Amino acid sequence: MAILGTVLAWPPGSHGDPARGERVFQRCYAWHSVVSGEHGLPGPNLHGVLGRRAGTLREFRFSLAMVEAGTKRGLVWTRATLDQFLADPQRVVPGNEPTFPDADDRHDMIDYLEQASAPRSHRPDARPSAHRR
Amino acid sequence: MRRVFFALMLVLLLLPPLAAAQVAVQSYPLPKGGGYPHDVAVGGDGIVWYTAQRDGRLGRLDPASGKVELIPLGVGSAPHGVIVGPDGGAWVTDSGTNSIVRVDLQTREVKRWPLPESRGYVNLNTCTFDKRGRVWFTGQNGVYGRLDPKSGEMKVWDAPRGRGPYGIATTPDGDVYYASLAGNHVARIDLDTGTATVLEPPTKNQGARRVWSDSRGRIWVSEWNSGNVSRYDPKSGSWKTWKLPGDGPRAYAVYVDDKDIVWLSDWGANAMVRFDPETERFERFPSDRPGANVRQILGRPGEVWAPESGADRLVVYRTK
Repeated sequence: MAILGTVLAWPPGSHGDPARGERVFQRCYAWHSVVSGEHGLPGPNLHGVLGRRAGTLREFRFSLAMVEAGTKRGLVWTRATLDQFLADPQRVVPGNEPTFPDADDRHDMIDYLEQASAPRSHRPDARPSAHRR
Repeated sequence: MRRVFFALMLVLLLLPPLAAAQVAVQSYPLPKGGGYPHDVAVGGDGIVWYTAQRDGRLGRLDPASGKVELIPLGVGSAPHGVIVGPDGGAWVTDSGTNSIVRVDLQTREVKRWPLPESRGYVNLNTCTFDKRGRVWFTGQNGVYGRLDPKSGEMKVWDAPRGRGPYGIATTPDGDVYYASLAGNHVARIDLDTGTATVLEPPTKNQGARRVWSDSRGRIWVSEWNSGNVSRYDPKSGSWKTWKLPGDGPRAYAVYVDDKDIVWLSDWGANAMVRFDPETERFERFPSDRPGANVRQILGRPGEVWAPESGADRLVVYRTK
């Protein structure tokens, strides 16, 4: 079920800069982890987020709006839906934040999230340093 | 006559509590290019300063006229917290430029003290002054620090338990405490050594987000995850906790006014909440705008200011 409007103009197959994306992710570091199994932060763990149905990570208590977005409206996190969400979270799932208005920031960070979730043999060290710039 | 007197006293004691506090609410819309107010600070002269986080500006509202002036804070600025310092400056924690920033209230001169390069991006959150004129600040990515404006010396420490340091406040005696949202605790900083001592709230994983002191130096805590407001008494080391009313409260900001009344923002109810510790009663003031998203509260005697980041306006609750 198509639940979102126009998909943003992000050329299919194109990729950003995951190294830069890791630096952008520092704004989220206090809220989310990309390390598998690391829970207990104010936001859900984002390891493996691409392909995940919204609001279904067992270890996190989502808002009703997020749960409904996944279970009733069929929202699954893809590069496109994540891009739309990060551009205007309130429009996609009300009550969420923050906003990343810069498209390069969003694309690079999504690339970083994808890389961080890849099998270890396929990526450089994905554990973010809290203090990398 | 004495019987009449005692009868009258008995009747008065049995009467229901007095009507809710008289609070007058007024809102001030903000201009384009100066919206999304994150934090607010009101000086003794009544002028209100706020951080226009998405536009990288410091806003100045004159409530008498409703006029807003916007002061650019530079390329990459994303100001989070603001306080009015004892030195006559507006002090800003700029999470975009990773700097502590001072704006002179008279000249509008902007001065920056960047975090040391070696520390990387710390996601600066809020700041407060101690009684020695030094600025203490928090960085969500797991640090707290101190700037001495006179010498320019800046020190940064790793926070116990890593990421999380959020709201910070000073007590009337000059002690400094901060809350750690991701770390689920409150900490007191030793102002000489810089060591932070963890103080555990009674509710596990409560999400302590902001702190404020009352006139007796007791620390009030807004708990984002649990929807509680809690109070820590340093003299006894004891805690007391109250759950905000309603379904699914989310307590974001906390402030204690000059009458020791506690004010909170509840994102679950989209409301400001007034709590009287003496009667232990809550009173809600729902916003008339959806998704008001009040992230911080500050005031001066008779005024409690709430920046509605979701409604691009500042709202004042005038108390009697």
